[in-house]
Amino acid sequence: MTFEEMPDEWQEWLALTPLERFRESEKIFAHYLAMGGSLDPDPDPTSPFYDPETSSAGAAYGRPGLRVLRRGAV
Amino acid sequence: MGGQACVFYGAAQFSKDVDLALLASDENFARLLAALGELNAKRIAVPRFDPVLLARGHAVHFRCQGGDADGLRVDVMTRLRDLAAFELLWARRTTIRDATGETFELLSVEDLVRAKKTQREKDWPVIDALVEGHYRALGGEPTAERVEFWLAESRTPERLMELIRRFPSEAHTQISHRPLLRLAFSGEGEAVRAALDAEARAEQAKDRAYWAPLIAEFEGFRRAEREGA
Repeated sequence: MTFEEMPDEWQEWLALTPLERFRESEKIFAHYLAMGGSLDPDPDPTSPFYDPETSSAGAAYGRPGLRVLRRGAV
Repeated sequence: MGGQACVFYGAAQFSKDVDLALLASDENFARLLAALGELNAKRIAVPRFDPVLLARGHAVHFRCQGGDADGLRVDVMTRLRDLAAFELLWARRTTIRDATGETFELLSVEDLVRAKKTQREKDWPVIDALVEGHYRALGGEPTAERVEFWLAESRTPERLMELIRRFPSEAHTQISHRPLLRLAFSGEGEAVRAALDAEARAEQAKDRAYWAPLIAEFEGFRRAEREGA
């Protein structure tokens, strides 16, 4: 995807300076943790580090405090 | 060198871990272990920390326990596939310093792109974003090195065709290194797209071949740890 095709959010992100991006990233990371986000690696069978025995399917929507109560057909 | 560097370069919004490329020396290993000790970091996967294994291309994975870094994973490597020796990576690194004097040393964007050419599907959109971000930031200030980088690493037909219009002689010179540029010259967008996909598949195959013996070793390490050896 070229820059011109990127969503506005990504174009705005690229318009920041590297340090501004790092500081914003720290805030996003803090929000992620505050919402209970997991620091486990995402399960990725295409990674050489993927271990099916130790990798979980991940918490619902990335948060350990959430459980899926209902799903659609797929 | 990994996701955190991608944040600085604009190709990611945050990363859940810290990846370190390290100079392999006894003094540096001692400093690393001291720093990991301060973070109360424990190894969380095979292999064990061993300079010999790092030199073979293995990564060692730690998780910090307690304090501000609680839960944060730190991955350490000293050798990356198809990347130069650490001394050269360090010589061409990007250094960023903030107003307080805090300094961040990053893998150069060219080396980060090379490091991201892995078998993992999720790394390829990151390469696109790294190159596009670089072109967006510096496309108005072309140098020989930058033009070579854009021609070598851009991954959309549209951008490659624009680069060929802007830098035709440089593009001609690069055809021997990147044959798909010839298709871009003829304006065959779909053919370029197919060639870009083939280029990615070939790199992924190289990465799988590189990792195959290391994964076989992993499995031996895992078995040994399970058996308490």
